[in-house]
Amino acid sequence: MKKFRTRIAAVAAMSFAATFAVAALPSQAEDVTLKLVMAAYTDDMVDYYDGLAQDFENANPGIKVEVDVVAWPEIGQKVKTLIASGQTPDIVNNDEFAGEAAAGLLYRADQIVSAAVLKDIIPAFLDNSKYKGTAYAVPDLASARAFFWNKQLISGAGVKAAPKTWDDMLAAAKAVKKKYPSVYPYCLPLGPEEAQMIFTTWGGGNGGRLFNEKTNKYTLNNKEFKGALDFLKTLVDQKLTQPNPGKTNRTDGCWALFAKGKVAMVDGGVFLPDWLSKNGGENIDWAAGAFPAAKGKTDITVGVQDYFKGYKAGGKQKEIQKFLTFIFEPTNYQGFLKAAGGFIPATKSAGKLAEEDPIIGPYIKLLPKAIFYPGTVGSWQACKASIVTYMGNAMSNTGKALQQIQAKCDAAHKKVK
Amino acid sequence: MVAATVKKEPARKALPWLSGTIFLIVGFVLWPTLELFLMSFRTIDISGLIEGWAGLENYRMLAANFDLPPVLRRTIIWLVVVVGMTLAISLPLAQLMNAKFRGQKFLRYSIIIPWAASLVITATSFKWILDPYYGMMNLILKDLGIIKEDVDLLGNPSTSFIMLLIVAIFVSLPFTSYVLLAGLQSIPGEVLEAAKVDGAGGWKTYWTIIFPLLRPAFLVAAVINAVYVFNSFPIIWVMTTGGPGYETDTTTTFAYKIAFRDQDIGQSASLAVGNFLVIFIFIMLFLKLSKWREADQT
Repeated sequence: MKKFRTRIAAVAAMSFAATFAVAALPSQAEDVTLKLVMAAYTDDMVDYYDGLAQDFENANPGIKVEVDVVAWPEIGQKVKTLIASGQTPDIVNNDEFAGEAAAGLLYRADQIVSAAVLKDIIPAFLDNSKYKGTAYAVPDLASARAFFWNKQLISGAGVKAAPKTWDDMLAAAKAVKKKYPSVYPYCLPLGPEEAQMIFTTWGGGNGGRLFNEKTNKYTLNNKEFKGALDFLKTLVDQKLTQPNPGKTNRTDGCWALFAKGKVAMVDGGVFLPDWLSKNGGENIDWAAGAFPAAKGKTDITVGVQDYFKGYKAGGKQKEIQKFLTFIFEPTNYQGFLKAAGGFIPATKSAGKLAEEDPIIGPYIKLLPKAIFYPGTVGSWQACKASIVTYMGNAMSNTGKALQQIQAKCDAAHKKVK
Repeated sequence: MVAATVKKEPARKALPWLSGTIFLIVGFVLWPTLELFLMSFRTIDISGLIEGWAGLENYRMLAANFDLPPVLRRTIIWLVVVVGMTLAISLPLAQLMNAKFRGQKFLRYSIIIPWAASLVITATSFKWILDPYYGMMNLILKDLGIIKEDVDLLGNPSTSFIMLLIVAIFVSLPFTSYVLLAGLQSIPGEVLEAAKVDGAGGWKTYWTIIFPLLRPAFLVAAVINAVYVFNSFPIIWVMTTGGPGYETDTTTTFAYKIAFRDQDIGQSASLAVGNFLVIFIFIMLFLKLSKWREADQT
């Protein structure tokens, strides 16, 4: 965290100094400067981009690269502020693109990477990068989620098999609570970090899907999602979760408790093992599997992908294409995945290598079962925000929360169309 | 008066000396305010680009927003309770600070320190004190036998707003009590002595002499406090971000959430215009009060 702040301060100070330098020396050889705003998957991203920018500048004289690595909770707002104040960056790496594509801000995918790179992208991921049939972003990586449990606590409580259905899970939670009163059987993160994930995952396990492409409508206030929220509420009401779901975040809340052995079951993802090993949870004996589903429904996983995007405002299409093609060169892209920490690659070539990986491999096989956020819908970011906000208080009245979520998402959808 | 003997200079000669101030006022007060008003009548798309004029659409959307009424109700409670309680506690506190006793200096310092700390620091400290897993509060409550299981006072909608009120009162106390202390110190000693000679008791002296003389300081403290409290963003944002849901939002944090979470900058601007008008009324009130005060003194 500290690292980012100093870095941001340094960038700010440098651009300040640069303004004066330019004012003082108006005629200098004109380097093209690419301005990048990139997501901080981990603290390692700063060092990775430092090295990458250096290599790229050496290979491409005349192009300078300025990278701003920004933490996840701030990046969306930062990009928005830059665009609104006329300082649109050239390349951004974050988790949204459809709203910007709808506003006509973005280059097409085939304009920002070489044809060879584009052909190497896994088709399902590229489909999720399309707005009205045209790809406007290039997927950088993806993740899939899974249900994690603490083996010691679960088998210690006498639970034989991994919970497959909601009933299994309820029974397992009760058993854990009985055997270990100080352990929270299941940790439910409905805080602002990623409450939409809980909504999508558990609703999905009851057959619920967020958006209907055919009717072009959000499908949120229905019996599938109601059933899922009511199931979670049962866990909360019977004190089988931590005391404050509405405020608990995924990472510093649930995962931190899981790493301390205070939680038996938790929603995790392909990157949780990496996180555990770096945050004091290396001794936790975990196992992962499919999320428990409602009786008679198929289990699902939720896939999430992020994007590289090139912005038209600066008119630097050629340079953007050079840089993004550079980042997809095998060694650079492996470095990117390594710095990001345990994600699923977005390219076929890197995906082949990752299938051999003991941790990531199983997730790649899970991908066919994955449902994705409707990231290609322009209003999704606004709708997501409403889901997050109302989930914070959903456990007090599930029906009212669903009504409010549906109303806000419909309003946002009407506005974007 | 003195002014009459000075030769009157044309106003334009003063311009170079005033230009800095004028620049600051225009650049940092008038222009942003104007932009805010304009924004509230514009359609701004989800990426922050201006698409055109919206007429009253943003205001209509705001009026139709079903989260607004509870937020308005809460903002009024927030304002009345925090300002009221702060004044009620500050009056005796100022009296105590004014009393001569050993440790008076210590008392004064300890009251000013929370004011010297930034609101974010204070709010963060309280957030950790109230943390359900690692906080002091749960430890103390459990040791005292008041609760059996860990509770999350900030995570529970029925208690989180009360906690915010307490913290807001706590951080408002230093300023208010110091304004009142200054008011107390300006009361001439002779008046109090005269009251003593005439045989007035403690309470009587307070309500018939001290409090009426304290009135101007009291009103100024009330209005300035109201402005601070109404605008108070950091306490709520740091401790609960207005959550869970919208359960602890006031209009200030609600405007922020509409802009950056719901991504509706136009609607947020229309709410901010409302906030601006409320503050504007307070400022007018304050100017009026200062005028009365001047009139009182001359």
